[in-house]
Amino acid sequence: MRFSVCAPIGGIHVKKSALIACAILAVAFALSAQEAAPPAGAARPGGPGAGNAAQAAAQAAAADRGRAAFKQNCAACHAEDATGGRGPDLIRSSLVRHDKNGDLIGPVVTGGRADKGMPPFPFTDSQISDLVAFLNAQIALFDLHTRFGPYPNDIPAERLATGTVEAGKAYFNGAGGCSGCHSPTGDLAGIAKKYTPPDLEVRFLYPSGTPSTAIVTLPSGEKFEGTLLLNDGFNVAINGKDGWYHSWPRSAVKLEVHDPLAAHAALLDKYTSEDMHNIFTYLETLK
Amino acid sequence: MKKRSALILFLILLAPSISRAQALDPGKMLKPSTDTWPTFNGDYTGRRYSRLTQINKENVSSLSLAWAFQSHATGLQSMPLEVNGILYISGGNQAWAVDARTGRQVWHFARPGMAVSGSNKGFAMWHDRLYLTTPDAQLLCLDAKDGKMLWQIQVDDPALKAFGGVAPLVIRDHIIVGTSGDTADLPGFLLSVDPMTGKIEWRWDAMPKPDDTVAWNSWPHDTNVVTRGGGMTWITGTYDPELNLLYWGTGNPHPVENGDTRPGANLYTCSIVALNPDTGKLVWYFQSSPHDSHDWDTVMTPVLFDGTFKGQPRKMLAQANKNGLFFVLDRTNGKALISEAFVPANWVKGYDDRGQPIPNPDKEPKPDGVLVTGGVGTNWQAPSYDPETGLFYVNSRETMGVFYLTMPGKSAEGWAGRDFFLGSKSMLKAIDVQTGKIRWTADTEGRGGQSGILSTAGHLVFTADMSGNLVALDASTGKALWHMYPGGSFGTGPMTYELDGRQYVVFPVDGVVYGFALPHAETSGR
Repeated sequence: MRFSVCAPIGGIHVKKSALIACAILAVAFALSAQEAAPPAGAARPGGPGAGNAAQAAAQAAAADRGRAAFKQNCAACHAEDATGGRGPDLIRSSLVRHDKNGDLIGPVVTGGRADKGMPPFPFTDSQISDLVAFLNAQIALFDLHTRFGPYPNDIPAERLATGTVEAGKAYFNGAGGCSGCHSPTGDLAGIAKKYTPPDLEVRFLYPSGTPSTAIVTLPSGEKFEGTLLLNDGFNVAINGKDGWYHSWPRSAVKLEVHDPLAAHAALLDKYTSEDMHNIFTYLETLK
Repeated sequence: MKKRSALILFLILLAPSISRAQALDPGKMLKPSTDTWPTFNGDYTGRRYSRLTQINKENVSSLSLAWAFQSHATGLQSMPLEVNGILYISGGNQAWAVDARTGRQVWHFARPGMAVSGSNKGFAMWHDRLYLTTPDAQLLCLDAKDGKMLWQIQVDDPALKAFGGVAPLVIRDHIIVGTSGDTADLPGFLLSVDPMTGKIEWRWDAMPKPDDTVAWNSWPHDTNVVTRGGGMTWITGTYDPELNLLYWGTGNPHPVENGDTRPGANLYTCSIVALNPDTGKLVWYFQSSPHDSHDWDTVMTPVLFDGTFKGQPRKMLAQANKNGLFFVLDRTNGKALISEAFVPANWVKGYDDRGQPIPNPDKEPKPDGVLVTGGVGTNWQAPSYDPETGLFYVNSRETMGVFYLTMPGKSAEGWAGRDFFLGSKSMLKAIDVQTGKIRWTADTEGRGGQSGILSTAGHLVFTADMSGNLVALDASTGKALWHMYPGGSFGTGPMTYELDGRQYVVFPVDGVVYGFALPHAETSGR
C-alpha cells in the first residue's frame, strides 16, 4: 500500500531505488504536516505508530491519485516530475512549499494565471488535496537526495558493479594484498548478502569501528595490554584485558600501538576509482 | 542615506535613555584595542590575532579557569563579542549577555513562542544594538542593554529550507547579512540593512544578470538553472576600510553534486567576491572552485594583511579553502600570488592564468562512485594569521571522499548526490604566506581539529584538538604548552580581551562558555 506512491516517476531515473525511497516517503508524508519538517535523514521507516501508518497510507493513496491527475493536466507545462518546463518548477516553488492543505495551490489551479498563460482547471477540493499530496511527495523525494538522507543505501548493486570480477579478484590476490588477511570462502563468505551495496563499498574502502590495541609498559617493566581508548599525546587510556579501565600520563609510559586497519588506511591512498569498481564487482559475487 | 544615518546617530547620542558608556564606539571597529572583541573575527582583517602578551609561552602552563558560564543550551556555535566588559553570546533563537569579568549572566533573550534549539555563529554590534540571524532565516535587532527585541525582518524563505546562522558584519551604518541553505536549489545573496529600521539598502546576488556577460555565460541557458542558485553567504566576511572593499566567500552551486545540469564555471558560486559596501557592486572576484560538484564552499574567512611579497609591497588576502587549496591574492585586484594545495587534492588538473584551479572532470560525482581527495581540507571554523611569525594557521583534514551521483539527468535539483569521507587525519598546519609551503604540522595523534583558532603576541596559538582538549601551542613550532579537557564538543573557537589588567581567553564548548586567565598572583602588580 505504501508502495503505491511509487508509480513510475518521470525524469528522475531512480528506478528500483525509488521503491525503497517510497517506503521512506510514506513516513515523510506524516511529518510534512509539521510546522518545521525535520531533515530528510530523520524520516526513516519504522518510527510511526499504527495511527500514523494508516494516515500515511491514506496520504500515499492521495498522492497516487494526484500523480495521475498531474500527469494528465499539468505535466505538459510543469513536467511529470514537477520540475518545470514551459511552466515554473514546482519543487522549489515558494508558493507550493508554503501551502497548507491547498490554501495557496487551490486558488492558482482553479483560477488559473491568465497573465502567465495558465488556464483555470475546475478541480474539486478533494482533487486539490490529491495534487498537494503528490507535490509534497515529490518535494520529499528530492529532499531525500541530501548528504544526510538515507537515500544512497538504495543504490542497486548493478549501478556500482561497473568493473570486472577478474580484475577485482586479481587486485584482491595481488596488488591489494587483501588475501593476506581475508578469504572469500572464510571471513568474507556471504559478505554481499550481509551489507547493502554502498555499505559494502564504503566498508571495504575503510572499515570503521575496529579500535587499535595497545601494549603499555610502565617504568617498573609491568605491561598492560588492551583496547586503545585515548592517545592524545597527554594521556593514554585502555580497556585492559583484565576487564578494567586504565590510564596514565603519556610521558610516564612506553606505548606500542597496533592498528588492525593500517593496511586499509595505506590502501586508501592508493586506490583508483577503477580499483574500487573492480573490487566491488568481485565482492558482490560473494553471496 | 549617509546624511540620514548621521542624523539618526546624532539623535541616538542625544537620547538620554541610552547608556553611551556601554555602547560600542564605532572607532573601535577600525582600530580595535585590546580591551574589546567587537565583531565576529575580533576586527575587520579576519586574522584573529591579538596583540595581548600577558598570557604568553613562558607562563601559559599556569593558565587556569577564571569562570564558566552555563548557558544550558547545547552545541553553541557562537563567537562571543566583548564590548565594555559585557560578552554577547547568541544561540539559535536565544541569546545572553554575560559579565566578561565574572561569567555572571546579565540578561537572557528567548524569542517568544519559538523553540530555543538551533545555533547561530554570533552577533554583530552597532552602537547599542545587536544583530543576529535565526534558524527561520530572520534578522533580529536587539537592544544590547536589556536584550529586548527592537525589530525583525525576513531575510530568506525557510519553506525552501533557507536558514540563518551567519554573524552579520557592521560597516559604518550598514548591517551586512548573508544566508544559508542547500537542501532545495536556492540562490545566495548578501543584504545591506539599515541598522535603525531594518530597511534593505542593497542586495548583491550570487547569481548573475544577463548584462554581466562573463558570469552569465558561465551557466547554460537551455534551462533556468542560473536562476536556481547556490552561492550561499553563510560565513562572515572581512573589510578593508582604505580600499573600501568588502570581501565575502560564496558557497557551492545547485544542484550540489550534479554538475551535468550546469556546464560552465557557474559564477559567482565558490568565489571570493570584493564588493563596494556602499552600493553592493562587485569590484572583482576570484573563483576558488570553478564548476564545483563537491560542495566545496568558499566561505572560509578571507584573511587580510599587508607586507612584502617577492620584494614588492602588497595588500594581500589569504584563504585556506574547503577544497584543500591555500590561496594568497592581491586584494586590490583578486589576482592569485599563491595557489597551493595544503592537503592532497586530486580534483585539481591545473591552474589558469589568474591562479584559479581547473577541475578534473573525471572527479565529478558518478553513479558508480568516484574517489576524490582535497575536501573537506578545512571548514568554516576560523583560521588565524600571526604577523609576527608570518604563518597562517589552519585546522586541516586529509580524507578520501567517495562521491555518488544519485540523481543524474537535467531535472536534478537540490543535493542530487551523496558523499562519504573516509580515513580522516586531522592536523593543525602552519602555512608560510610567502611560499604557501607548510612550515610545521601539529600531527601528534589526535591534534588538529575542527575548532577555530586564535593567535596572540604571547607567541601562542589557541585551538582545540580532535581528542576534545583545549590547547595552547608554541606559535613557531606547534609544541603543546597547555591543555585542558573541557568535556564537550566544539562549535566555534577562542577569543581574547583584557580587562582591569587581566587577559582572558574565552572558549565556548558545547553549552558552556569558559573564561581562562592566569592566577591573580601572576597578574597583580601590573
